[in-house]
Amino acid sequence: MATSPNYSWPEPDNTDLVKNGALAIRTMGNAIDTTMATMTPKSTYTAKGSIAAATGASTPANLSVGNNGETLVADSSTSTGLRYQVPVNANPVLNSAFQVWQRGTSIAVTSGTFPYTADRWNFYPNGANNAHTVSRQATNDTTNLPFIQYAGRFQRNAGQTGTGGVFLCNSFETINSLPYVGKTVTFSFYARAGANFSSASNALAYKVYTGTGTDQLSNTGYTGATAFISATATLTTTWQRFTGTATSSSSGTEISIEFSHTPSGTAGANDYYEITGVQLEVGSVATPFKTYAGTIQGELAACQRYYYRWTTGGTSTAWAGTGMNYSSTNALVMIKLPVSMRVNPTSIDVTSTASNYRVLGPSGTGAVTCSSVPTLDTSHNESPLLSFATAGSLVAGQGNAAGANSTNSAYIGFNAEL
Amino acid sequence: MTIENYLSTDGVEMILVIDGDKAESMTKAEYDRRQAEQSTPIVTNEAKTK
Repeated sequence: MATSPNYSWPEPDNTDLVKNGALAIRTMGNAIDTTMATMTPKSTYTAKGSIAAATGASTPANLSVGNNGETLVADSSTSTGLRYQVPVNANPVLNSAFQVWQRGTSIAVTSGTFPYTADRWNFYPNGANNAHTVSRQATNDTTNLPFIQYAGRFQRNAGQTGTGGVFLCNSFETINSLPYVGKTVTFSFYARAGANFSSASNALAYKVYTGTGTDQLSNTGYTGATAFISATATLTTTWQRFTGTATSSSSGTEISIEFSHTPSGTAGANDYYEITGVQLEVGSVATPFKTYAGTIQGELAACQRYYYRWTTGGTSTAWAGTGMNYSSTNALVMIKLPVSMRVNPTSIDVTSTASNYRVLGPSGTGAVTCSSVPTLDTSHNESPLLSFATAGSLVAGQGNAAGANSTNSAYIGFNAEL
Repeated sequence: MTIENYLSTDGVEMILVIDGDKAESMTKAEYDRRQAEQSTPIVTNEAKTK
């Protein structure tokens, strides 16, 4: 018997008898019917842009086109396993992988204070006897994490008995917040607990706030604070990824993310949690983690808009800048900042040891050790002017250089944080 | 903690705060703003009252 060239439907041979035609037609018709039953019906395509997806094996279903500019992503929570969403999933969380620690990689935090620790991360252990140490740690995990090298560890010091709330926040400037207000956004992060993490049930609360102020820090007050994402992660000693999705208030003008918990009892040796890979993005799916800038130099520069610390970089006699002696005891020195800060620095921070700093003296006299610590004279977001005081020996009007006095302890920090 | 007043070369009132192993200098206006921040209870949202 002959067959059709593509689907091999049975056809009568040229020499078959006419009296067998009815049977031949029925046989071929049944074969065609069987084939057509395996095909996606035309009605699956309901409108312009429709594509055929599947809700299961051999179960086609329409997937309507998304909005202009959206792309298709996998999403196992939908019936078809697919979803249209905006393609640009930028992450506005600066230092989201704890790569930048200009203030040092291990920072002691006094109870009841709210300093910045890792760049852009403000930490506030409330109450007394609640001293903490914030430090950079290697994740040491390439199975449960997407190859993120570092995490931030937030540890109540062993023996501390304070049980005040502990808050960690990363607040965005208004200019970086507006793309995320009035939209469905997804928050995600990786976290794990130390063996003695003392929060009840190993709970770490996480929230994403909108506020109605401008450029505020949520740890020190947030006008019109509304936590549009608020949930609790139950940590284990193994890295896990946690996500939350909600729509932010369209009246928000700033966004801040916050982690909090309440310690209990007396802190053991490992009363800490660690987080990394913190991400906020438009859409209802947590996409693979990526940092804000994508490169370490980009991430560093982004952080330096808020804080820049000059250090010796291992050269204990390094010079920070040059200027002119204003008098025999006062050297004015301009520091050229590597990045234009978001505003003029509101303060500078240095060590409290004056002798950590020096000024290049007149020819033949060598360096002159400072008699008090460097201070801010005139702030500017690119070229602030500092004053280096000495007991004398400078010549007014001469040029100078100022910097570290044979110690790597010297530093000068410029603060333009929220 | 010690607090010292000084004038910038432009005559602006400045403050130097020395606290332990750290020192920080700023305008007096910034110092006053921080003092107000420290003295105001941080209860602007429910989380800070824990």
